[in-house]
Amino acid sequence: MGRSWGSVAEFEGFLDAGGIVEPVDAMPDEYRQHVFRFIELHANSELMGGLTERDWIPKAPGLRRKLAVLAKTQDEIGHAHLLYMVAADLGVKTRVEMLEDLFANRGRFHNVFHYQAVTWADQVAIAYLVDAAALISQQAVFKNCSYGPYKRILRRIVAEEGFHMRHGEEMLLVFAEGTAVQREMFQAALDRWWWPTLHMFGPPSKPDDALLRWHIKSERNEDLRDKWVQKYATLLTGYGFVPPDPDLRRDPESGRWVTGEIDWAPLKATFANLGPDSARRVADAARHWNETRWVREALESVARRAA
Amino acid sequence: MNVYEVFLKKAGKEEFRHAGSLEAADDELALVLARETYARRAEGDQMWLVERRHIVVADEDYVAPNADKPHRHNDGVRVAERRRAGSDRA
Repeated sequence: MGRSWGSVAEFEGFLDAGGIVEPVDAMPDEYRQHVFRFIELHANSELMGGLTERDWIPKAPGLRRKLAVLAKTQDEIGHAHLLYMVAADLGVKTRVEMLEDLFANRGRFHNVFHYQAVTWADQVAIAYLVDAAALISQQAVFKNCSYGPYKRILRRIVAEEGFHMRHGEEMLLVFAEGTAVQREMFQAALDRWWWPTLHMFGPPSKPDDALLRWHIKSERNEDLRDKWVQKYATLLTGYGFVPPDPDLRRDPESGRWVTGEIDWAPLKATFANLGPDSARRVADAARHWNETRWVREALESVARRAA
Repeated sequence: MNVYEVFLKKAGKEEFRHAGSLEAADDELALVLARETYARRAEGDQMWLVERRHIVVADEDYVAPNADKPHRHNDGVRVAERRRAGSDRA
């Protein structure tokens, strides 16, 4: 069952012609591993993001915002669930193995979830800046991804991230149009989140990047980052906020934003789960996993009885 | 635990469409999880859940050969030519 290819070159020809790979196909093992790692990273990031979001439900100001944060938390956990199912079907690890790796600090997740959100303004900066960055990256994958199940499931994830972004910008307006204290609060949050958001797109893509060659991703990291900078440098300065980059300027000829040099050391630290808040976050997630063990055991006994 | 495939349908003429999959202990819990995972914003008002192991999957080699049976289609070329010839004469 499923299709097979005589050689990797033949498989690459299929991908270059816009071919879509399905889980039953006999894909080259290296492709399987790359797609799996990419989706696992995405799933872990949705879960870790959802857990941070959850921390802010009791602290969100006002009932309406609490409801919105509650819905957003449910979305992020839901996205993790969808993605873990798609990743598990690749047959590399089971869903539970991925979760246990994550909670045992053997998993990876996006750099932005290795930092602490200090105030409510940080949470708004995340909703406004980080979610927009995630959306730009996911849209690019969604448009052209060669792995069918991932491309299809991204359609709904991207739609829901759109709601989050609009919610983020609406909350930002409150700070932008607020008192001097509120404006300072958001500026301080922007100072903390600007660089991690730029890092989120990853270092410039290598010329031989397998994710690009196999059409898992369709755009280079630096191009996606530039797309974000053009839009958000304009919006933030328009609201009167100042990105913490003294070299950020508009090129006088093209009118495009140019950032200062990016220091990649903080991003590399998060790759090894050595970011400023990595240990606490992973330990917190692991604690929840252990505290809910009895629920999983109860469900498994239901499944055994049903069988 | 069982793997279920989730299908959603909106009212009207649209067909049921595959939405994704989930893992659940039994049918009742699968329904709860399906509603919370796939229909939070009313993406459908009808839902089918099918245990993956119950889906009968056809081999592509069995399905695909029907693409080479042109006698099951009619491209309409001859009729179109005749009509064109007719309108040239007029």
